[in-house]
Amino acid sequence: MKFLPNSISLRLALMFSLVALAGFLLIGLSLRMVLDRELARQEQEQVQARLLDMRYLLERGRSTDLAQRARDKIETLSSTGRARYWLWSEDPRWRYGADAERLASLTHGRRRVLPLESMALLGVDLPATAVRPAVSLVVGVGTEPFSQTLAGFERLLLPIVLIGALGVAALGYWIARLGLRPVVQLSRQAQGIGPHARRQRLSDEPLPEELAQLGRSFNAALDRLDVAYVQLESFNADVAHELRTPLANLIGQTQVALTRERGAPELRELLHTNLEELERLRAIVADMLFLARAEQGARAAQAVPRSLAAEIRKTVEFFEVLLEEAGLTVQIDGDAQAVIETSLFHRAMSNLLQNAVQHAPRGSRLLARVEPARGMARVSVSNSLAEDLPPEQLTRLFDRFYRADASRAGSEANHGLGLAIVKAVALMHGGSVFAHCEQGQIMVGFAVPTIAP
Amino acid sequence: MKVLIVEDERKTADYLRQGLTEQGCTVDLAFDGIDGQHLAVHHDYDVIVLDGMLPGLDGFELLRSLRAVKNTPVIMVTARDGVEDRVRGLREGADDYLVKPFSFVELYARLQALNRRGRSQEPTLLRVGGLHIDLIARRALREGQRLDLTAKEFALLALLARRQGEILSKTTIAELVWDMHFDSNTNVVEVAIKRLRAKIDAPFASPLLHTIRGMGYVLEVREVL
Repeated sequence: MKFLPNSISLRLALMFSLVALAGFLLIGLSLRMVLDRELARQEQEQVQARLLDMRYLLERGRSTDLAQRARDKIETLSSTGRARYWLWSEDPRWRYGADAERLASLTHGRRRVLPLESMALLGVDLPATAVRPAVSLVVGVGTEPFSQTLAGFERLLLPIVLIGALGVAALGYWIARLGLRPVVQLSRQAQGIGPHARRQRLSDEPLPEELAQLGRSFNAALDRLDVAYVQLESFNADVAHELRTPLANLIGQTQVALTRERGAPELRELLHTNLEELERLRAIVADMLFLARAEQGARAAQAVPRSLAAEIRKTVEFFEVLLEEAGLTVQIDGDAQAVIETSLFHRAMSNLLQNAVQHAPRGSRLLARVEPARGMARVSVSNSLAEDLPPEQLTRLFDRFYRADASRAGSEANHGLGLAIVKAVALMHGGSVFAHCEQGQIMVGFAVPTIAP
Repeated sequence: MKVLIVEDERKTADYLRQGLTEQGCTVDLAFDGIDGQHLAVHHDYDVIVLDGMLPGLDGFELLRSLRAVKNTPVIMVTARDGVEDRVRGLREGADDYLVKPFSFVELYARLQALNRRGRSQEPTLLRVGGLHIDLIARRALREGQRLDLTAKEFALLALLARRQGEILSKTTIAELVWDMHFDSNTNVVEVAIKRLRAKIDAPFASPLLHTIRGMGYVLEVREVL
C-alpha cells in the first residue's frame, strides 16, 4: 500500500472517490447506451412515418397527374429541410432526386434504416397501379439532431462524473476526519503521559468500541511498564542506600580521625575499620555485577554433569560449623544428575543454607531436597518458621535487597542479595526459582534442567 | 620473588609496587602494553601481573606474544569479568585470573601460589613456635600436648601452617579447605577459625593464630610487646 498517502482520512477519501468514479462511470455509460437506443428508435419512427405518408399518396392516388402531385408533395415536405425524398422508376417521369437509382438499390429489402452521410434512409418498392408504373420510394431524415443530442450527453458525462467523484472525496475526507476524532483525543491524552505523570491512563469512557480495545491494551502495557519502572526506581534507591551507609561511615570515620593528631595504633584501627567497610562495598559491587551479568543473559559456561546430592553434601559440609553453632541438623533427600557449574551451584546452595540457618529455630532440622520433576531437578532447602510468610512476601523473596524481616536489615552478611543470587544462578542454568510456605515450614529453592537418562 | 606489573592505572600500579616491595619482592612497572611486552620478553620474572586492557598493546595480545617465547607465570587482572574474558585469558595461557576490585591479600596469595608451583616437595613436618604439625600422621601438638582436631580443623591448621606468616583471605581459605570456589558472604570461615583458635591458642600463653581485620588470618609467632 505504498502508493497510498500516509493518512487514514486521505486514504479513505481517495478510496471513496475511486469507488464513486467507477460507479458514476458505469451509470453514465449505461445511460448513454439507453439514450443511444432510444434515439435510434425515434429515428426509425420518423423515417417510417414519412415513408408511410408518401406511400399512401403513391398507392392510393388515382388521378392521372399523380406524378406531378407526388412531385409537388415532395417539394412541400422537403421544404422544412429535415427530410429528403427520392423516386426511381423505369419511366423517367417517375424519377426524383439525384442518385435515386443507387439509393433505391441500397435500401432495397431493408427493414431498418440505413445510415448514410448523416441521413437515415428507408426505401420501399411499390408495384405498378393503374395510373403509374412500379416505383422505388426512398425517404431520408437527417440524423444531425440525434447525434448532437448524444454528443452533448457525452460532453457532459465526463465532467459530471469527475465533479461527483471529487465531491465524494471531499465528503469522504470530512466523514473520515469526523470518525477519527476519537483517535486525536486519544493521542492528546497519550501525550500527557510521562515519567512525571506515570499514573495517568487513557480514559476509555467516550471511545467507540474499536478504540476502547486499543485504549485498554495501551493502558495494560503502561501498567506493565510502570511495574518495571517502579522496580528499577526502588532498585536504584536500594543500591544507593546500600552503598550510602558504608560510604558515610568511611568519610565520617576518616574525617574524625584526621581532626587531630593520632597515634599509630589509633590510625591502624581506623584503617582496619575502613577496610571492613570497603570490603562490604566491594562485595556489594561484585554481587551486583554478578546479577547484572546473569540478567544480561550470561550462561553457566563451565558446566559439567554432576550428582546434585553430592554437591549439596559438599556445601553442607562447608556449613558444618555454622550449623553446629546454631544447633541445627540437615537431612539430605533425593538425587538427580544435572549439568551444572559447580562453583555457581555451591554458591546458590550456600545462600539457601545461609538463609535457613538465619531463620530456623534453634534445635530444628533443615531439609535439603532434590526432586526430579518433568526434566528439571528441584533443589530446595526447607526449615521451620515461627510464623508463615504472607504470599506477597513469598513472591518478593528473590528480589534484590528484599528482606522479609525488615528489622534484621543491615545485620546480615549477605546484604539482601542472597536469594537474588540464587535466582541468577538458576537463570544461568536455564532454570527457575520457587518458594512455598505452609504450616510453619518454608521451602525455598531453584530448579535446574536434568540430564535425560 | 621478582615481579613485573603491567598496569596503566597509576594508582593501582603504585600501591601494588609498594605492597609487593614491602613483602620482599623486587618489582618492575610498565604502564603500557609495549613497555610491558619488552620487559616481559627480555627479562626473567618469577611472576607477571598483567592488566587486561592496556594502551598500546592489549593484555591478551601481550600474553600471546609472551607465550610464544617463554612460560613465565602470568596472573591477569581485569575490570572485565565476563565469563568469556576469563575463559579467553586462561586459554591464551594466563595461569590465574583476578577481577577488579580484588583484594591485595588475595593477589599476593595467588602470586605466591604461582611462584611456589613446580618447587620441590614441601616438608611433611611443620613447626610454628611451640606448634608441631605432622601432615602424614595427621597429628598436631602444642607444647607437647596433643590437639584434638576434626578433619576440617586439621586441614585448616595445615593450610595456615604451610603458609605461615602469610595472610590468607577468607575466600582463599574456603577454596583450599572446603573446595568452595565462590566469593562467600557467609561467616563459616570466621566461625571455623574461632573454633580452631579455642583449641590451639586458648589453653596457651601466646596466641599464634591472628586475625587481620578486613584481610584475613595469619599463623605466626609474634613478639609479645
